[in-house]
Amino acid sequence: MKGLQQLRIVGGAVHDPTNGIDGEVRDVCIENGRVVAALPDGAPTLDAGGMIVMAGGVDIHSHLASSSCNHARRLLPEEHAAEPAPAPLLEDGAPARSGTGGTVPSTFTTGYRYAGLGYTTVFDAAVAPIMARHSHAELEDTPCVDGGFFALMGNDEFLLRLIASGERGRSRDYAAWLLGATGAYAIKIVNPGGIEAWKSGQRNLNGLDETLTTHGVTPRAILETLADAANQLGLPHPVHIHCNNLGMPGNVAVTLASMRALAGRRAHFTHAQFHAYGGPGWSSGAVPLMEYVNSHAELSIDVGQVMFGPAATITADGPVEYLLHKSSGRRWVNIDIELETGCGIVPILYKDKAAVSALQWAIGLELFLLSADPWRVVLSTDHPNGGSFLSYPALIQLLMDRTVRGERLKQINPKLLAGSALADGLTREYTLNEIAIITRAGPARLLGLQQKGHLGPGADADVTVYSRDPDIARMFATPRYVIKAGTLVVEEGQLRRAPAGRRLHVRPGYDDALLPGLQKHFQAYSTVAFDNYPVRGIRDEPIPL
Amino acid sequence: MTDDRVEQVTCLGCGCGCDDIAVTVREGRIVDTSPPCPLGRAWFGDGSVPWQVLRGGQPVAVEEALTEAAEMLVRSRGRVLVYVGVDLSSQAQRSAIALADLLHATVDTATSETAAAGLLAGQRRGRATATLGEIRNRADVLLFWGVDPVLRYPRFHSRYAPEPTGVGIPEGRAGRFVIAVNIGADRAPPGADATITLEASEEIGALSLMRAALRDSRPAELPPPFKQAADLLPRLTGARYAVLVHDAEPTAEPRNPLRVEGLIALAQALNGPTRAALCSLRAGGNRPGAESVLTWQTGYPMAVDYSRGYPRYEPGLRGLNRLETGGFSAALVVGSPDFSAGTTSALARIDTIAIGPRATQASFNPRLAIDTGVAGIHDGGTGYRMDEVPLSLRPPLRGQRSTVEALGGLVKGIRLLGQPA
Repeated sequence: MKGLQQLRIVGGAVHDPTNGIDGEVRDVCIENGRVVAALPDGAPTLDAGGMIVMAGGVDIHSHLASSSCNHARRLLPEEHAAEPAPAPLLEDGAPARSGTGGTVPSTFTTGYRYAGLGYTTVFDAAVAPIMARHSHAELEDTPCVDGGFFALMGNDEFLLRLIASGERGRSRDYAAWLLGATGAYAIKIVNPGGIEAWKSGQRNLNGLDETLTTHGVTPRAILETLADAANQLGLPHPVHIHCNNLGMPGNVAVTLASMRALAGRRAHFTHAQFHAYGGPGWSSGAVPLMEYVNSHAELSIDVGQVMFGPAATITADGPVEYLLHKSSGRRWVNIDIELETGCGIVPILYKDKAAVSALQWAIGLELFLLSADPWRVVLSTDHPNGGSFLSYPALIQLLMDRTVRGERLKQINPKLLAGSALADGLTREYTLNEIAIITRAGPARLLGLQQKGHLGPGADADVTVYSRDPDIARMFATPRYVIKAGTLVVEEGQLRRAPAGRRLHVRPGYDDALLPGLQKHFQAYSTVAFDNYPVRGIRDEPIPL
Repeated sequence: MTDDRVEQVTCLGCGCGCDDIAVTVREGRIVDTSPPCPLGRAWFGDGSVPWQVLRGGQPVAVEEALTEAAEMLVRSRGRVLVYVGVDLSSQAQRSAIALADLLHATVDTATSETAAAGLLAGQRRGRATATLGEIRNRADVLLFWGVDPVLRYPRFHSRYAPEPTGVGIPEGRAGRFVIAVNIGADRAPPGADATITLEASEEIGALSLMRAALRDSRPAELPPPFKQAADLLPRLTGARYAVLVHDAEPTAEPRNPLRVEGLIALAQALNGPTRAALCSLRAGGNRPGAESVLTWQTGYPMAVDYSRGYPRYEPGLRGLNRLETGGFSAALVVGSPDFSAGTTSALARIDTIAIGPRATQASFNPRLAIDTGVAGIHDGGTGYRMDEVPLSLRPPLRGQRSTVEALGGLVKGIRLLGQPA
């Protein structure tokens, strides 16, 4: 029951929303790492009778393998010391690695823990292009999951210059070059223009049409340029956007303005909870946000739920971390990254008795519960910003069980919840099929991963089997079996094998006319030689476009 | 006779990580490197290194040596020191840490005491810093705190600051205001726009007063050196982007361990009125790479003890300290560092294996020694610059055995012996 070429998973209730299967008891057949329609009689079987079968989970937005994560790891030795993680005992004494936990676990431990949750595909959502080599190295040491990352572009010097001179086509070429040079999967924008404003002394940009004085460019122009670039390049995932004004009261206005600016274009807006605050004081902006999201099929969000407990905020959004440091008094890392982006880190504790944390928690749940289309509203905690990925099972329980949710609501600080839809009573309970959508089928579709997130023939054999349990959180925290590319990774709830994952990346084409100007730019301002910049020798071939 | 010229080679001679070196190779030897840099020239040399495998000083087949090394290390599992030296690619460092995990070993690295003080202070406070290109492109005020980079980081001035032009500094040197702070024997650059001199005993007080001045709470009357230091504040707060530069590596003069914490705090506090960063100069040989790899694999940047089967952080009692008190029965030294007399004699008392560049020439006389290539000269892979930017290594020479290959052979040998309990 290990490196089996064939396996028939028998008797489980299958939740495969991509293929319209909602709890039907049927077999799932696997051959050579793929799902197949049928297997010959006598193929080895795995008894899933009475259990629930889903595709492996897909995390669309996490921070797990980047230089910024590593700076956060370094900042938190006391968390690691409190959570030693001895090497798992793998079958046949296969080598496994020890590590440490905390809000930002060591790499091997991260891979094992994702697999232990039934997640088999994960993306790091924010990698500075110049640090891409580092992310590839960390991903090499993050077993059990297929992984990739998004390259930060919304504050890139060369791009800002192109946008300032109205060169949209050349901007697209540059985005394409940068994706290929770094081995990234998608274009990421963090606080468009605001990081450059932070670095250049303007401090931040607060509105969509506020001008970045160093370049004469607005966030609107950055969003439009990169959204168009992603769509015109035919990237599997559209531009992935962290809006301006993260975490600020009243920021739902700029979030909605950003969405309107891209109306009609495919775009993904990330950790929407952190961008859904009414104003001028603290209040929920979830209702207007979800009214817009529900009525615009071209856009999607992930929620970025806050879960009570310790977290580490890690973001390229330098100015927001400075403010968090000033308001919390906690340790603060700021790293300005040449010509490209920034990095800020502040550890944080979300307390249920703290009014703002309680509001954030409530807003996240409102986004989920007000969603009309689960295919476009993805589960995330923006790990580890809103909480660890290990809290996904508890979050799923809050979505599926209104009694648990109601009890929790009674315990939290209600001060800022006036007018909150959640406090007014949202009775919706997510079904298992909807959970399958927001944790695998939906994100896989939004990421353009045609072989992920479902169990139809041709899909990657990434399968998670859960034992039914009235305690939903426990059920999702301890899958009975997890299969990754046909390998049984978790067996009877124990991690038994730890195969390496695949690298997911793209290499779009571009017009070579880009290169002379780009080389000149490198020569004038970069500290890394143009020829040394690209990451070479990435293990897996790029995803065909 | 034709020369081969390899362009854009990355130099690990110091932490500057210049990746614009043209290396000329003739008959397998490096005969020139350009642009000229004394540290770079010394680091590349002619590229010749020994390629031997020795047991007790006598040649032995590499397979045999690896098998024997595996036996020695497995015998001592739980009581092994793995020392990660310099001139290793991050891929080699990664293999060394994997071995340490497998052997329940204690890991020590070439992270100096002074760099360690900075890492610990950074864990207490965080830090405000920037990559070197950011300093080049933005820093309009530079304060050199007891260091002139020219000696140990020769191209810092010309590649990063204050000389080059940058996006926000089109005038180059003329667009930057340079402040030199001499501290005892630690001299800052000559030719600065402002210079002050402090006694070593005055520097912590001066740093405190600079922060006090930032909060408008400096005492009215101050003795001259402190007044001069506090008077620097308007220059720093008036900057668009102020950069404080200090040397994180040891100097002849004993360093007050509070220096780095004071600088971290000052750089952070300057981010209220303006933008500021602290630049910590680090020596070469991919030292920051070892810290980076250790951090992602264990959570800790140095001083990791795996003896209980998981990483523990022991910055107060590092491996080399424990070696001299008899804490280990075997040691794997990756590289060929020059150790103190005490360390050398402690290594002579236990099973010591050296694998790495110039291992057979190691002054501590290892029982087994396997030579491998030098990162960036014979071995490819990744090396980290002092600001932790990962650089591609482009080796100009072909080596006979890479460090990754040799360490991989050792892992294989250990696995063949089966996993001890």
